[in-house]
Amino acid sequence: MEVSTPEGTRVLVADDDADIRELVEFKLSQAGYAVQAVPDGLAAWEAFESNPPHLAVLDVMMPGLSGFDVLRKIRESDHPRVPVLMLSAKSRDSDVDTGFAIGADDYVIKPFSPRELLHRVNTMLSRTRA
Amino acid sequence: MTGAPASHAVTLVATFAVFASCAVLAVVLVLTKVGREGRRRRQAALVAPLRPHLIAVSAGEDDGTARAVLAAADGPSRHAVTRAITDLLGKVRGLPAEELVEVLDRHGSLESAMADLRHASAVRRAQAAQLLGVSRVPDAVDALVAALDDKAAEVRASAAYALGLIGDPRAAAPLLRAVGAPDAGLPAGLAADALLGMGVGISGALGDALADPDPRTRTVAAHLCGVGSFSRALPCLRERLALDPDLTVRETCAQALGNIGRADDVEVLARHTRASHPLPLRRVCAEALGALGEDAAVPTLAALLHDPDPRLAELAATSLVRLGPCGRAALDAAAHERPVQSALTVAALQGVLR
Repeated sequence: MEVSTPEGTRVLVADDDADIRELVEFKLSQAGYAVQAVPDGLAAWEAFESNPPHLAVLDVMMPGLSGFDVLRKIRESDHPRVPVLMLSAKSRDSDVDTGFAIGADDYVIKPFSPRELLHRVNTMLSRTRA
Repeated sequence: MTGAPASHAVTLVATFAVFASCAVLAVVLVLTKVGREGRRRRQAALVAPLRPHLIAVSAGEDDGTARAVLAAADGPSRHAVTRAITDLLGKVRGLPAEELVEVLDRHGSLESAMADLRHASAVRRAQAAQLLGVSRVPDAVDALVAALDDKAAEVRASAAYALGLIGDPRAAAPLLRAVGAPDAGLPAGLAADALLGMGVGISGALGDALADPDPRTRTVAAHLCGVGSFSRALPCLRERLALDPDLTVRETCAQALGNIGRADDVEVLARHTRASHPLPLRRVCAEALGALGEDAAVPTLAALLHDPDPRLAELAATSLVRLGPCGRAALDAAAHERPVQSALTVAALQGVLR
């Protein structure tokens, strides 16, 4: 079942791995999202501050600010309710627990299915709209 | 009179030699880095025209066109595409991964990798094992099992990693044996990670490995029984805890019983906290009693709060914290003991206590 993806829905993607960044950007763009992809945590926070997205996809291990650091800043910002999906190779239960404890709305472990990621993004955004 | 100048000259020569060695090392490091960066750039340049197709396949957005273009890559580009796909296979799963493997197959890379497992170069053998693993080639299991006996440690490690990714439980017994192989062992953590990827089918191999002559193999097996919840091994774990000649095996069995034991195991673990047993084992058993989560462990743990070994007493206190209200009551009765205070402080800092 396809969930509608209105034009202009902005998604911020932050990952220091160019492969992941490009393929997530490509997958979400193909689905109709306006994607801004950045290579590190600091750029992610700057992008969030300058133009808050409707949803953020954050890697955990990034140079400078980690994904968890960015998530904390988002939750303390003027737009704390923006849904955040963590996309990480850190797969231990304690890592996932930390992500949710800080305020992540979802946590996807690499290697991941791009199709599943898109479904999760669609679902999170449709909940936000509801 | 000549002793001082001679000594001075020796010092100068030695200093020069040290500086020269450092300079040579720095040059080697710089050259290595420059060489690696050069190779990375050449690889990126070769892949660049094909990158949109690689991304399309990896994202699961290919109707077959991108795969056809990638499969047609020739010469150095084909090699570069193979390497790029190997990287991508560690990042995506599902249909995109299957389609990437299809490209490798059309390149003949999987067939080459099978042959490369017998290449003279250890680097080529290790790369071949990695490629077969990330591509999840089930037909490669036998060849990868044979590679567990390779004379090069990096090939053995790569083969173990690959077998874990393929996940065929037939490889469990050889992997466990490889941990304890004389002069050609496999790091225990690597083997454990690989075995965990094989699921419940390794149960029989774990049972056999608990009786292996090598203690490293028995330790890995006991560890996996605990973290993988292989409860069929419980009788064997109890027996090894009591009788194994190797202390590490006994400790690991105690940890496993703490993870997956039954109510009856309170008595088993409690017995091994007695002063007649080695101190490291007593400590592990005290921790395991906390992990087991049975109120019946409270009297044993409460008695350990007064043990002459402060670490053991502290571990007993931490286990009582884990047991909840029943354990907390026992702690209140010994609140003046330093190990108890220490354990309560740590628990408060960890947010376990409110």
